[in-house]
Amino acid sequence: MARARDIPGLHAQLSYREAAASTVAVRAQELFDHAEGVLDTSEIERVHDMRVATRRLRAVLEIYEPCFSRKALRDVLVDVKALADALGERRDPDVHLAQLEEFATAVKEADQPGVEVFAERVRAEQGAGNEVLSAALVRIQETDLRGRLGALAASASPEHDPRRSFGLRRPQDRPPEVIS
Amino acid sequence: MKARAVKGLDPDGTLADNLERIVATRLDELCSFVPRVLDPERVKALHDMRIAAKRLRYILEVGAEPCFGPYAATAIKRTKDLQDLLGELHDCDVQLPRVRGLQDELRAADALEARARAGDAPDLDPTLASGTPHAPAWRGLETLCIYVQARRGLLFERFLEMWRELEREGFRARLEYAITERPETPTPLSPSENGDQPSAAIASPAQSDG
Repeated sequence: MARARDIPGLHAQLSYREAAASTVAVRAQELFDHAEGVLDTSEIERVHDMRVATRRLRAVLEIYEPCFSRKALRDVLVDVKALADALGERRDPDVHLAQLEEFATAVKEADQPGVEVFAERVRAEQGAGNEVLSAALVRIQETDLRGRLGALAASASPEHDPRRSFGLRRPQDRPPEVIS
Repeated sequence: MKARAVKGLDPDGTLADNLERIVATRLDELCSFVPRVLDPERVKALHDMRIAAKRLRYILEVGAEPCFGPYAATAIKRTKDLQDLLGELHDCDVQLPRVRGLQDELRAADALEARARAGDAPDLDPTLASGTPHAPAWRGLETLCIYVQARRGLLFERFLEMWRELEREGFRARLEYAITERPETPTPLSPSENGDQPSAAIASPAQSDG
């Protein structure tokens, strides 16, 4: 499983809004970086990595909820959740199949036909799950989920709201310069 | 399971202060499943505890290092281990009824077949019930059921041991303490007497992260 990427510039005294902007941007990028090849059932870890990325993204969207407009957040969250569900439709049979294959190699030959009957069913679910996932991937492109996530992340930044910043950053929002 | 609402979040406050509130709530939520989950029959509570562990872990992944004391990083590993183990338990809870469901389905189909073989006979000849179409699958399905059921029992024992170990280690108290600690703010750019290394030390009392 892919390790969560560090969020550059995050520190304890950073404003919650700025942290929201940078964290959501990184987690959204992580999600799309894992999208390649997820429909390939011979490489099941790809789906897993993308699914974990959706969970991490969902988690940060919920963590930073007060920093976003309620409607914009809800629209994005609904789509991220739908994508996570679609990834789950593929991932669950992937895992069960891998376990069954391992089990079948360990048990006696007389046990194998029964395991195979169950595996056949799970394989059909994997195929159906792949179709659900394929449709979900098309949908996130059509609805420009990536662009909406970018806009949502940017909207949390203090500079985004002209009432707050007028192009100036408040001193307490400025990250401290660090001697390198 | 819906996450418990976190009160008092302030978008204009600092990241650390807000995350502290969220972690405190999620940690309390996680621990609230004890003692219910110590009963192996509480399948839903075990599943919900896994979701609570996942929520806690993902927050810590964001905030442990930049915002909190050293034990918060250790807590990521602890919650991940807990989440993984509860996930495997959940897989057994999902898989067992599915295998049994398939057995029921195949048994019903074979019973219909045996009945059809009897035709107009006044009673069913027992030999007609053997050699039904799914007979070769019975043994493997039963073995699979036994395996999943036994594995579930073993994993639950491991879960009990893991939880006891977390309690012995003081997981809750140490994480509650760690989230009140703040790493030292990076040194502002200014002349220094002895060089220019930014401090990575922790301002609050040192605490082992083991």
